[in-house]
Amino acid sequence: MLRSDQILATVEMIQKENLDVRTVTMGINLLDCRSGDIEDTCQKIETKIVSFAGNFVATCNEMSKKYGIPVVNKRISVTPIALVGAGFKKDDFVEIAKTLDRAATAVGVDILGGYSAQVEKGMTETDREFIASIPEALAQTEKICSSINIATTHKGINMDALAIMGQTIKDLAEKTADQGGFGAAKFVVFCNQPGDNPFMAGAIHGVEEAEAVLNVGVSGPGVIARALERLIATHTEPGSLKFDELAEEIKQTTFRVTRCGELIGRAVSKALGVEFGVVDLSLAPTPTIGDSVGEIFKILGVDSVGAPGSTAILAMLNDAVKKGGIFASKTVGGLSGAFIPVMEDAVLADAVGDGSLTLEKLESMTCVCSVGLDMIAIPGSVDADTISAIIADEMALGVINSKTTAARLIPVPGKEVGDHVSFGGLFGASPIMPVNNVGKSSRFVAWGGRMPAPIHSFKN
Amino acid sequence: MRKQMIISVMSKDRPGIIASITGSIYKLGGDVADLNQTVLCGYLTMILNASFDEDVTKEDLHAAISHVKTDCKFEVSVKELLPGEEIEEDGPPVDTYILTVQGPNKSGIVHGVSQFCFEQNVNIFDLATTLKDGQYTMALQLDLKKCTCSMGELQQKLENYSKDNGLTVMIQHNDIFQVTNEITLH
Repeated sequence: MLRSDQILATVEMIQKENLDVRTVTMGINLLDCRSGDIEDTCQKIETKIVSFAGNFVATCNEMSKKYGIPVVNKRISVTPIALVGAGFKKDDFVEIAKTLDRAATAVGVDILGGYSAQVEKGMTETDREFIASIPEALAQTEKICSSINIATTHKGINMDALAIMGQTIKDLAEKTADQGGFGAAKFVVFCNQPGDNPFMAGAIHGVEEAEAVLNVGVSGPGVIARALERLIATHTEPGSLKFDELAEEIKQTTFRVTRCGELIGRAVSKALGVEFGVVDLSLAPTPTIGDSVGEIFKILGVDSVGAPGSTAILAMLNDAVKKGGIFASKTVGGLSGAFIPVMEDAVLADAVGDGSLTLEKLESMTCVCSVGLDMIAIPGSVDADTISAIIADEMALGVINSKTTAARLIPVPGKEVGDHVSFGGLFGASPIMPVNNVGKSSRFVAWGGRMPAPIHSFKN
Repeated sequence: MRKQMIISVMSKDRPGIIASITGSIYKLGGDVADLNQTVLCGYLTMILNASFDEDVTKEDLHAAISHVKTDCKFEVSVKELLPGEEIEEDGPPVDTYILTVQGPNKSGIVHGVSQFCFEQNVNIFDLATTLKDGQYTMALQLDLKKCTCSMGELQQKLENYSKDNGLTVMIQHNDIFQVTNEITLH
């Protein structure tokens, strides 16, 4: 029999430390749904999603009961819709979005991702029609998330697409102005977007994937925070605990957390007869108190998130999470790292409010973690070109460092620095973050064309 | 065909008990197959299974162990397996669940929880309890193969039981504890 203390440690993680499986996401390929007309295509899409995911939520709930571990979110990702609807026009794509929304509601998932296009090198006519449909599509649906990949290390940055992104985000926010610009919270711009990421808003079912797969996102930062607090509490003598020992604790805790995700993901996958994909090792916070990445910064020694030392702490955290997780799982993928989505993390949002966390510091922190400038509420008056330029900087970090980066910025209509916005639920709340140097980047954004791929992308 | 004996021994714990007992068995030509021992409050108890030639009797074995020189006498009990009586395979069944019970110490906790299991026809095949700072903790390894209700019903009943008795009771599949505490992923 297992030792009682081991059993109790696991029970403690579930009862008091928010150990859960953050998301199980079913990826479904929709490429075979393209038909001669839009009605038939929509019908096929709906039928396919319902047939693959009809029992998905019930099976997740059943496994959750068996193992005594909550599965917080059940989601679906699909093949980037710009590919599925090749040749369709803007209005057709809005119809597809509505169909996806209906299918998501029918099978009981909370979010469906993959209303997406991948345009890192160039845009087709369809891609342009698709991108033009995004503000309308997200305004008219509830559960659909959208993403555009505009850069990769291998291809550089598509500057034409970049220029459109700022305006797309502005339009999204304006079309959902009565909800504080919530539409922009469901849209993310990527560099090096993975095709097996289970987390939203950026989940897609990449074209390289099988017909259907299950990807799992592991538990949040609460478990890590409590483990660190316990370790620190047992070392009252000054100097008796070193930084590497804290890293080791994070590593071991992540191992346990990842194992739970792997076990449940594989059990669901077996029960549904759907291939198991990957475990994504990301630490994803929620607005719940005690489930914050920001809190870990404070535990590890800075009094405010954003204070000098924050980037180093995040680098260690991100690395320790990967080291613990990679040994725990047979297949790791997705984004795998610590998230710092400002609105979704109460401690990070507070740090914006008291001025300790700035956009510039966040940008530097995204050099050492996944995913990027995530869920940041900015003044509604910031112009489209400035938003595109902020995205360009974030994309450049991803291109040069061969890593995934992303930007999810919300220019909240009618709000300025000093105001506050709340979307409720998992999307959270935050004060509006100041943006410096607004309106000074239009000439840069207007160039268009491409930013060439970096020298280290040429490995052949 | 050699005969199988199940032997249980209790004594005050000291170095050398296992050596003494297995020495007596060895002298009688016995072969030890399985042995389990535990120490509680300074007392050792062990149970073991050994095979002997047909002419060795329970009484021989009893006498051999009883004659070992020791400060605290061994309390011995020997059971001979009848021909055809099979030794059940040890090891947890596939559907092993772990039940944990935590709460302030009071009399009757173990009885209450075990009675609850009995009422659902759930077999307890391992159990450990600890008392620390007035808090009583139990970890039970359960076989749910013959359980009379579904997992959902069992969880509901446990929830009611927890509320009625002021205890925190949780049941989870054994796999979750194995994957979080062991390197090998089954």
